[in-house]
Amino acid sequence: MHDAGAGRMAGRRLKTNKPVDYADTEPSAFASMLGGLIEANVESRPERRNDFDSLDARVGIWVTDIDEGVTLDFRRGALVVHNGLQPKRDLTIRAEADTVMSLSNLKIGPFGMPVYYDEVGRGVALKLVQGKLRIEGLIGNLATLNTVTRIFSVAG
Amino acid sequence: MAVKAFSDEWARQFKDEVNRSSVYKSAAKGWKWTVGLVVEAEPDKNFPESRGVVMDLFDGAARDITVGPASDAQKCDFVITAPYSRWKQVATKELDATKGMLQGKLKLKGDLPTIVRYTKASQEMTECTTRVPVEWPDEG
Repeated sequence: MHDAGAGRMAGRRLKTNKPVDYADTEPSAFASMLGGLIEANVESRPERRNDFDSLDARVGIWVTDIDEGVTLDFRRGALVVHNGLQPKRDLTIRAEADTVMSLSNLKIGPFGMPVYYDEVGRGVALKLVQGKLRIEGLIGNLATLNTVTRIFSVAG
Repeated sequence: MAVKAFSDEWARQFKDEVNRSSVYKSAAKGWKWTVGLVVEAEPDKNFPESRGVVMDLFDGAARDITVGPASDAQKCDFVITAPYSRWKQVATKELDATKGMLQGKLKLKGDLPTIVRYTKASQEMTECTTRVPVEWPDEG
């Protein structure tokens, strides 16, 4: 069980064997939720763990309707979650809160590709076309995006 | 006719709204956990004691929704905690519950991948609360 509020109460975490750590003394609620989600996913699903262990990238996520974001610094088997957008990001995803949740609900299909033809996938694709989901740095980082999507995915 | 906020009658009407919702029935298929809402006291808003809403939800239906002490709600599989005025904002559509959780305005305890998987169901449940006409203790 994850308590999204616990990180705020406890302050900065000590270095542990846990895969997810927080850069800030008081991680934001969004940072705690995203970090907790990834930690739970990685610990409960071996296929997500493989992706997590191989990923070396800095990914920003900005939630446009709450004006909050995080930077996820993946370091091959470890993740440091920063409050806000930090420099030197490989990818930055900007979307409304609902769309960020939808990204976590994308199913993963054959060859580890996110499924964009079911209801959730079509919704995400539509947001992309409408400009309500923006992904900066996509050129050259498509494989990274797919890996991050798999690590986020709670579906199926 | 409006019912008192977080009263037994409110709980009955809320349960009826959930069970009337075809959207919820479909989105919550497979859900099998209890959800507790802790409504924290705000004496200056004429809400002097914390209350707990315990929701026994199963496979797209609300089997039971009751209002009691906050400690009952805290024993549920998923617990969402906020002060009275935040819940009022959610029920009057001033605050989106998903955004509220991402901002820490509503504090969530429970398995995150599970709750994220059922985002649509939780959004529809919030919609159901907005359909119950409520008499708020800090109004008139």
